[in-house]
Amino acid sequence: MIKLQNVEKVYRTSSIETLALNNINLNVKKGEFVSIMGPSGCGKSTLLNIIGLLDAPSKGQIEIDGSPVERFTDKHLAELRNRKLGFIFQSFHLINDLSVIDNVEIPLLYRNSSGRERRELAQEALEKVGLSNRMKHFPKQLSGGQKQRVAIARAIVGKPEIILADEPTGNLDSAMGNEILSILQKLNEDGTTIVMVTHDEAMAKKTHRLVRLFDGTQVQ
Amino acid sequence: MIIEIWAAFMVLFGVLTLIVYNVRNYLQPIGFEYKQVWNLDLASNQDTTEIGSKLEMALQRIKSYKEVESASRMSNNTPFSASTMGNSVTYKKVSVGADFYNTDTELSKTLDLPLIKGRWYKEGDMVAKFIPIVINKQMEDKLFLEESALGKVIKWDDKKSFKVVGVVDKFKAKGEFMSDKPALFQMIDKDDKWNSNVLIKTRPGTDANFEARLAKDLAVMLPGWGIEVTYLTESRKNRENLTLVPVLIFLIVSGFLLTNVALGLFGVLNLNIARRKGEIGLRRAMGATEGKVTGQFLGEIWVLATFAMLIGLIFAVQFPLMNVFDLDSKIYITAILATIAVIYIIVTLCAWFPSRQASLIHPAVALHEE
Repeated sequence: MIKLQNVEKVYRTSSIETLALNNINLNVKKGEFVSIMGPSGCGKSTLLNIIGLLDAPSKGQIEIDGSPVERFTDKHLAELRNRKLGFIFQSFHLINDLSVIDNVEIPLLYRNSSGRERRELAQEALEKVGLSNRMKHFPKQLSGGQKQRVAIARAIVGKPEIILADEPTGNLDSAMGNEILSILQKLNEDGTTIVMVTHDEAMAKKTHRLVRLFDGTQVQ
Repeated sequence: MIIEIWAAFMVLFGVLTLIVYNVRNYLQPIGFEYKQVWNLDLASNQDTTEIGSKLEMALQRIKSYKEVESASRMSNNTPFSASTMGNSVTYKKVSVGADFYNTDTELSKTLDLPLIKGRWYKEGDMVAKFIPIVINKQMEDKLFLEESALGKVIKWDDKKSFKVVGVVDKFKAKGEFMSDKPALFQMIDKDDKWNSNVLIKTRPGTDANFEARLAKDLAVMLPGWGIEVTYLTESRKNRENLTLVPVLIFLIVSGFLLTNVALGLFGVLNLNIARRKGEIGLRRAMGATEGKVTGQFLGEIWVLATFAMLIGLIFAVQFPLMNVFDLDSKIYITAILATIAVIYIIVTLCAWFPSRQASLIHPAVALHEE
């Protein structure tokens, strides 16, 4: 489903070159739940951004569903992100001026869906995360756990095959964190491939496979 | 921002109304020829005896020069001059304000003022019951609507009545920027002592030597009189400047205001984009292309501009509806449409660069910066 070969990422400024990722090889199979762990600054988020096509590697190859993405245009990459990938972020990234349901509808705005279709799919996604009673609320009226559930609903509304979660429980207490993880596990049981960056060893143990990074290098 | 765009809309509407009005006037012919024509202004000063016959004598002397093709006496509201003489006339309870010009029988020839109906008045008309007049087409349309003006008697006041003997097409005496106003030419008799301007149509090639000779001869003939010669080409240029200067001033003021709006818009959009980097990154992650991000920011500013202009339109449409300044409603409508187009162009230009910059922010960077 996701294949990374000899991926390297270097950040260059006029005076410094920083090697963020070094020779990463990763193969995530369809339906897998993989967690990426490592200390702060080891390149976990960079790796997730590269998998999510939000950033380009300096070297190496990425394949999503068997297609190498290096030569994809902006339009093609955007379509791939929209159709195949769902993102969950540690800081939720909800738009405060939009209601919960409007936030969830965002990915569908970039498809040719009608307003009615968008609303129905957003309601369905919110029901899945148990927030159908908060549709008209605004993000500022929600708790951290509820915000992350809205972010999950937004990630799954377009029915993507892959979900990329960047420390989804990082800003939540353990009870909330477990709740979010169980939602992710349920999605995985339903067939969604999940790649999750986490700091939490216990959370990582609940996934199928663990990838460890240290100073940009894959150590496990 | 809405107030700023609204203010720019109102000022621009005013300026464009002025420009559309002047351009429309400019595109219409003035209706007469002025290039070889001089205006001789004779002032009797302290001389009070036999003014009428002295003026007539001067006219005959002027006509006798071989350099002169034609000459006519006229009231002091000569073409391109600052003076005007207006009055209203009535026909069947329809009253129309018109510019009055007192002239002799030769004006049509001196100014190449062609008639589209009837004839120019002649000496014999002075003994008729009504004062002979020639009017322009604009006056015919306003006063007689669908009827022909020829032979119609119109009232000036309780004592005087005019009879229309001819119609000319246009007579925009104040130049190209003047609107085609109703005009009326009234015949003056030979003994008239009030209308002391003489329009002289010279033959091609006539130069300042003749002007000096003419002035010298007339000074001998009319001792103590003031004699001033101006070329209508120069008067026209002065007149044109009088119209263009206020337009230019308004243009500078509105240009200054529009620049302020543009800079304000540019600054606000840049700030807005800096504040919304996270949202930009999120939208890119959710599948927005660079074009869609640019389109979103442009769309937002268009919505703002549309809202501001809708408020402006409430004020602007009152002008054609209430027939303010008695201008043709088409002038206001053209100005409104042009204003809308200019405002959209300005906001689009100002929003384009920051919006494009926003779309080029790398999604990973944008998400990281929130």
